[in-house]
Parts: sequence; structure tokens; C-alpha cells
Amino acid sequence: MTEGRIGLRLKILALLVAFMFAALTTRLWFLQVLAYEQNRASANSNAVRTVEVPAPRGRILDDQGNILVGNRMSLVVTVNRQEAGGQLEQVLFDLSKVLGVRPSELAARVDSTLYYVYQPVPVATGVSKRVAFYIEEHQDRFPGVVVVPEPVRTYPAGDLAAHVLGYLGQISEEKLNDPSFSGYEAGDLVGVSGVEAEYEHELRGTKGVLKYRVNSAGQNLGLIGHLAPQPGDDLVLTLDQQTQQLAEESLKLGLEYAHGILDSSSGKYLAANAGAVVVMDPTTGAIEAMASSPTFDPSLFTRSMSTNEFERRFGAATGFPLLNRALQGQYPPGSTYKPFVLLSALHRNLVTTAQGYECPPSWSVPEDPQHRVFSNWTTANLGIMSLAQALWDSCDTVFYPIGYDYWRIYYPPTDPPKEPLQHDLRADGFGQVTRVDLPGESPYSGRVPDAAWKAQVHADNPKAFPDGDWFPGDFVNMSIGQGDTLVTPLQLAQGYSAIMNDGSMCVPHVGLRIQTSGGKIVRNITPRCKRRLPYTAAQLDYVRQALSQVPVQGTASYAFRGFPFSQVWVAGKTGTAQVFGKQDYSWFAAMTRAQGKEYVVVALVEQGGHGSTTAAPIVRRVIEGLYGLPTTQFTTVGGTD
Amino acid sequence: MDLVASRALPTERRPLRHLDPLLLIVAFALAVIGVVMIYSAGRASLTAQHLDPNVFVRKQTFFLVVGAALVALAAGFDYRFLKVYAGMVYVVSLVLLVLVRTPLGANIRGSQRWFQILGFQFAPSELAKLALIAMLAAFLSELRTTDLSLQEVFRATAIAAVPGLLVFLQPDLGTSIVLAAILVGVLVVAGARARHLAILALTALVLMFGAFQLGVVKDYQVARLRSWLDPTNDPQRTDYNKQQAEIAIGSGGMLGRGYLNGTQTNLDFVPEQHTDFIFTVVGEEFGFVGAMFVLLLFALLIWRAYRIAVLSKDPFGAYVAAGIAAMFAIQMFVNVGMTLGIMPITGIPLPFVSYGGSSLLTNCVAVGLLLNIHMRRFT
Repeated sequence: MTEGRIGLRLKILALLVAFMFAALTTRLWFLQVLAYEQNRASANSNAVRTVEVPAPRGRILDDQGNILVGNRMSLVVTVNRQEAGGQLEQVLFDLSKVLGVRPSELAARVDSTLYYVYQPVPVATGVSKRVAFYIEEHQDRFPGVVVVPEPVRTYPAGDLAAHVLGYLGQISEEKLNDPSFSGYEAGDLVGVSGVEAEYEHELRGTKGVLKYRVNSAGQNLGLIGHLAPQPGDDLVLTLDQQTQQLAEESLKLGLEYAHGILDSSSGKYLAANAGAVVVMDPTTGAIEAMASSPTFDPSLFTRSMSTNEFERRFGAATGFPLLNRALQGQYPPGSTYKPFVLLSALHRNLVTTAQGYECPPSWSVPEDPQHRVFSNWTTANLGIMSLAQALWDSCDTVFYPIGYDYWRIYYPPTDPPKEPLQHDLRADGFGQVTRVDLPGESPYSGRVPDAAWKAQVHADNPKAFPDGDWFPGDFVNMSIGQGDTLVTPLQLAQGYSAIMNDGSMCVPHVGLRIQTSGGKIVRNITPRCKRRLPYTAAQLDYVRQALSQVPVQGTASYAFRGFPFSQVWVAGKTGTAQVFGKQDYSWFAAMTRAQGKEYVVVALVEQGGHGSTTAAPIVRRVIEGLYGLPTTQFTTVGGTD
Repeated sequence: MDLVASRALPTERRPLRHLDPLLLIVAFALAVIGVVMIYSAGRASLTAQHLDPNVFVRKQTFFLVVGAALVALAAGFDYRFLKVYAGMVYVVSLVLLVLVRTPLGANIRGSQRWFQILGFQFAPSELAKLALIAMLAAFLSELRTTDLSLQEVFRATAIAAVPGLLVFLQPDLGTSIVLAAILVGVLVVAGARARHLAILALTALVLMFGAFQLGVVKDYQVARLRSWLDPTNDPQRTDYNKQQAEIAIGSGGMLGRGYLNGTQTNLDFVPEQHTDFIFTVVGEEFGFVGAMFVLLLFALLIWRAYRIAVLSKDPFGAYVAAGIAAMFAIQMFVNVGMTLGIMPITGIPLPFVSYGGSSLLTNCVAVGLLLNIHMRRFT
């Protein structure tokens, strides 16, 4: 049966089969020889699953080594959607029974858009060991589900210094795109505020990796590699737990006490709704306490929070407790500004310490046709006084003509305008960032208004600011820390520190040093005190001496009645800032020295009435605590500026 | 008398003197390689399920012993009797294909292909392959012509279409392809005109592969059609299988990762590895060299079948041998091609190597028939 035709056809069939072998051989060559490396790598990565081990975040300690922020381990259940695959729904259903969370809630957590589909998504934190064991024992029912230990922040001192410490949150989209946050992944916790954010890179540490051999079902077949996480470095603060406690307690008591004081101008009790206290070492800029009220509990941020709850806890109703008023609050400084105005006036030779100045009940700009009246804080005529007395008695009508002099002598403006008062105030650190090592300081921190600024806000919004011209009245207001002038409590503390520190101005800071978890110093955060006030030592000394009379015979003498001035030197300045539509804001800024240790203490109470009423007693209590004196009860004192 | 007669008979004419030892050796070698690979493929997953890792090997070895007996049996009688009983065998296979669709058959993973008998599964579609070969060979050899008319070609096609359709509906796309290949193979040898074959083969091929491979149909339609043809075959799973199979074979490289050392195999990444994807074990653990060796054995197997078709004394034997050659060739090509990602994934076992009794026994019978035809080419 081998006729030619059949034979030919058989040959065609044979050729077809030969072609089959050729195709298979070619493909085999391609896969096994040409694409070998790639396939080998795929096979290897197939069989290995890497699990990231979060690094314990560095602790935050006070200057004595007390732990303000620590860590504890919490068990977190994560779900890998890709590994769960088609069984995801069943897995979530089973998981919901184990965790006691509704399946729909779990599904919502897993569906978070923050994670790539191949990333494990945390669905429950702080689960019990029993639950963790159960899930690990039943891996066949829970493909893609892993329980990982994760460090969680603890706050041994409770809400103490919450604003300075800050809190953690899941990394934002914005930061993920920020090159300085390369190496971070969605879902990572980062410092959101306070030193947690400022020292994020030091505190963070390096994640570890566990490599497991897995089969196609994701079953763990044993560890094949292990890279231990590197814990983050500890941050030691200049903050002193005791001082911080003292400041917070004094602020709290001061606010409570103010609630019982009837405000004569509004006829209501003082609202005293918020306040801030800063305690600073003027020689280094080290902040030893920074209190802001209302405050918050940072441990609330160790769990997830709905937008609603966030709003309820941290919104307007609770007075925006996340705001660090010492750093972010901007207020007219009132009379606490006068020492700086006086220093400028001495520096510019507008006034002299050798001369007396009149302190009438009111004063008007001589060339003002409308004779607008600027009153002193008291209707009494205090007669002729020295500049020192003008400070300790806080005589506004001595300062008004000084403000007017800046108009009289330096205006009309040249181009660029000569604005020596603003120049000097900026040299004192006002109207600019302090560069403190805390996030959240506005780039427009405080305000030293000038002609250009006034013209600009008028041009930007003519309705709200009908006046675009700079008037003598603007200087007059500025001379007593009113008008458009704004400062932060921290700026004021920095300025008083410079006066205390013979004109050498230090950048305020809360970080003292970075050290390893074992205590080895990584780096010291050295004080930066390069700036100098443009005033002579004699001028500064004159102001200090004048201010030392404030608690003795000046506006704060009632608040400091019985204070042991022989043991502790105190100088200070009260301030009563008028805020439109609000009760007066109460200020006291103090410099103190005893036992070889200097401090600047600044207190502000929103709607706390006169400086001597609320802020001064708070500062007094802080100073007493700092030097171990018995603390005085808050008592009602007369309303002096 | 006997003595004289036997002496008178030329020794060349005694069938046993004309065994094809190479065919036997090749088939046996493939079966032994199969057992060795099946152990590697099943070991890890069976152990993980706390089962005896030798359970597949033991069953397959048992079937190999039975298969050896079937080789002898199928070689022992004169194959020409088969021509007489071909019609009966064909009808029995059709009845079984119908019965397997009734509750008598077992539905495994969405496919009604098996009878469950005494703990063994028997797939009538395996029998249908041989029955079709015999029936076609009998029908075409009866025509006593090597120039088939279009009508005769269509009749032969009808003979193949009945079991083909029944198998297709199970659904078992793979076996339908094999049956089609058998038809084409036998028709070519039987002398169908190229034009007729073209009409037949091209329409069939274009319909079948065109729809799947060449993108004539939209992707989602292909996916739907595929899952209709084979419910076990959802597109995502298919892609995964294809990917894992390619990684397994590719990661073997030139010399392989060594027996029992393949991670894709040991960690169970390749599905159906002891059955349809057995070739991936060869590829991963023995590399290009090992895979080429197995392909070489198949080339020898097909060559011997082809040679027997050529050497056959009568058309019936030639057609049977050609059908068997076509069956081996298409199964080898589609199965290995599937593991290499150049053929669609269909449930076709690799002859002699894949785990599975029905398939192995069928192939043994086929080898027996080839030997039968070879041995009796002078009688």
C-alpha cells in the first residue's frame, strides 16, 4: 500500500509532525535558555513571601530621662487581598466572626484606596493573643491573613505636653509624593504634629523583613531569611516633666480662677477659654515647658477615628484643642510690647532716661483735626515720671507720643520707607518665624505692620480694610502693642529672653539631643544664639531694672504681694490686649533669676481680663514652682493693665 | 507433520520474530519517566494533606502492569479480526459516551466524563479514540480505493463527528481535538483529496482554533466560550496556570534544578501537575536537556507508528497505525504546547507520562495494536 500518492501524503503528515517538534523545541529553548533568568527569578519570588516588621519608633524623653512617649506591642491583623484572591469574601466573613466586627465593616477597611492590591491592609489593631493564635493555626481558612506585632505609642505621662509631643497618623498622599519621604509606604505611621513630626526621620527607625517560604496556597513553610528592624533613635527634649506639669497645672488653675472673676467692661464673668504658658531658658533658648489650653489626649490617635469623631473632639465646640497656642496663637501683645518700643526709642534717641515724661489720662495726635482721644488705662493723672516708671506703671500716654515721634520724624515715607520702629521690632524677633524645632509655626508668624502691609491688605480687600494709608494713629497704637500688631507667646518669650540675656537672642528649641535606644548620643541639638538685639547693654539694663519694679511697685504688685524678692529676682510686664468683640486678653511676661538659674516665663489667657488679674498670678505660681518656693493661692487682685 | 510444516515455514514469518523492540522500549521508557515524574509532582501536596506521597505512584504502577498485559493481549490476536468487530466496538463506545451523560456517570469539577467503578475512574472518551480509529480504518479500507470521493470523506467525517460531538458536550474539548486529528490523519493516509481535506480541515481548524487563538472573536467572547466549553476553566485561573507552567519550565534552565528540587513543583504552584501539566516537572527538574529527551522519545514513538503504517501489509493496518500515530502526535503536541504556553489549555494528558489509568491503558492497547500490525506484516 505504498503508492506514490499515499507516500507523498504520508510525507506531508510527517512534515506536519516535524513542524510540531520544531515549534515545541523552539519554545522550550526560548523559555529555558533565553528567558531562563527571568523565569528563575519569578520562581524564586513566587516561593518567597516577605513580611515587613515595623521598627519600634524612638522614644521621647524629658531632660531628666523621664519617658514622655514610649512604645508597646500591639497585634495587628492584616489582609492581603491578592493572596486571599477569590476567597476574600469567605475569608472576611470568617474573620468577622473571629474579630467580632461586621463583615461589611471589614470589607470597607480592606477596600481602602490607600493600599495597593498587593499590600497587606490592617483591618484590626490590638487583637488578643488568642485571636492571633487562632488565625495562625487556621491558615488554610485565612489565606492572605497575617497577624503582625506592631509597636503602638504609649504616653506614660498622659496628656502632658501633648502639643509639643504631637501625635502619629497614617502618612498623607502629599508626603508620599515628597522625596524626603521616599521609602515610606501607604499606611505607614508618621508624626503629624509636634516633635513626632519634626524629628520623624530620627524617630522612625528602619523596618525589618521576614522572608518566608510559601506554597501556592500561601502556607508558611518556614523562615528563610530575617532582617531585624532597627529601632528609631530616642529624642531627648529640653522639656522638663516637672516644669511642664507645673506650667500646665498653673495655667489650668489660673483659667479656673479667672472664671470666677467679673469683668467690669463686659459685665460678665471672664470666659478665660484658652491660654498658653512658655517657660524658656534665656541663655540657650531651651524651652522647659510649653503649655497650651485646651489640650488633648495624644493616645486617642493610636486608634482610627472617623471624621465625625475628629470634628467632635477637636473642632470649634471644644475650642480647637490641637492648636498649640504658645506657638500658633497670634495675639496683640498689649503692654508687654512696651519694653521693645522703649528700647527702639532709646536706640533712636527719641527719648532719654535722664528726662521725665508726662502721664496724663489721655492724649491726642497734635495735628489730628478730629482730636481722636487715646486714653491711658487709668483716668488718674499720674504726673511726670521717668521712662522706667512709665514701664512699671505701664503708662500708655507716655508711649503714645513716642509712637507719634516715629511719624513726625520719619514720615512722609521715602522709597524705600524708613521705618525704624518696625525695623527694630523685627530685630527683636517679631513678625517672623522663631525657627523653633516644632512644626506648625505659620510663615506669617505674628505681625509687625508697616505702610506697605497696610496698603497691601487694603488693595487685596478694600471693603474689609477701607484705609490703605499709614496714619500717625497706627504708630500710636503700635507703641502700646495694639492696632494691627500680633505676636505669638513664643515670640514674646524669645524677645524677653534676649533682653534677659544681654541682647543675645537664642532660637527657641525643644529638642536637646538624639540618642540611640541604648543611650549613646547620636547628636546634640546645640543652642543657636547668633542674633543680637541692636541695643546697648546700658539700655537693656535700664529696661530690666524698670521691669523689676513691675511686681514690686508696678502693675503686678498686687499679683506678687508677699513674693520673696530677696530670694528670687523677678522682672516682668503685664499686658492687657484689646481684641474686638472679646473680653481683654491677659498677658504676663517675666524674667527671673535665682539659684544661678534664669528663666523667662510668658503666660497668655484669652479673655482673661487684665494682665495683672489672670496671667500674672499664673506666672507667679510657675516661678514659685521653678525655685521650690511655696505656691500662693490665686486671689483676686485689682485690675491694673 | 508439524515439525515438517514448521520447518517449511520461513522463520521470518513467525509474528514474534517481528516484534518492534524499539517501540516497546520507547513506550516503556515514557511510562517509567511518567511514574518518576508523578512522584515528584504529587509528593509535596500529598504530604501537605497528610496523605501517603506514594499513592499516585502505586496506582500508576498498577496500571502500568495491567497495561503491559493489555499490550500482550492487543498484540496477541490477529488485528484483522478487529476489522470485523470494529463496528461493534464503535457502537459500544458511543453507548458508553451517552451513558456517561446519565446519572451513571460521575461529574467531576463540572465535567461529566467518567464512570466510577470500584474506586477507579474510567473515561469512555479514551475508548472512543481507539474505537474511532478502528471504525474509520474498517470503513475506509472497505472502500478499496485510494481516491476518496467527497461523499466518502463526508461519511468518514460523520463517523468521527458522532463521538466527537458527544465528547465535546461533556464538555471535553481536548478529546474532541484528538478525535478530529485522528480523522484527518486517517483520511490523509486513506487517500482523501487535498481539496476535500482542505474543505474539511480548514473549516474545522478555522472554526476551532481561529475562534480561540487568532482573535477573530473578541476576548470576552473567547473567555465566555472557553468557560462554556469547560466550566473548570475560568479565564483568570487559566492565565495563572499558563504563567506558573511557563515559570516552572523556564526556571529549569539548561540542566534543570534537580529531581525533587523544583520549587514550582514542590510548592504546588503548578496546578494539575501530576496529570495534564506533568511536562512542567520534566522541564523544571531536568531542564532543556531532560525536556528534549522526552520529546525525542515521543519522536521515536511517532516515527515507529508512522513506519508501521508505511510497512503495513493491508490498508486496514495502515489506517489503524496512522490513526494511532496521529493520536500520539496531536496529544503530545497539544499537551506540551499547553505547558509551554503556545496552545490553549485543554484537558489532554501526555501519553504514557500523565497520571491516569484510562489514558495509560488506552495507549498500551494502541502500542499493542501497533506491534500487532508490525508483527503480522508478512502473514
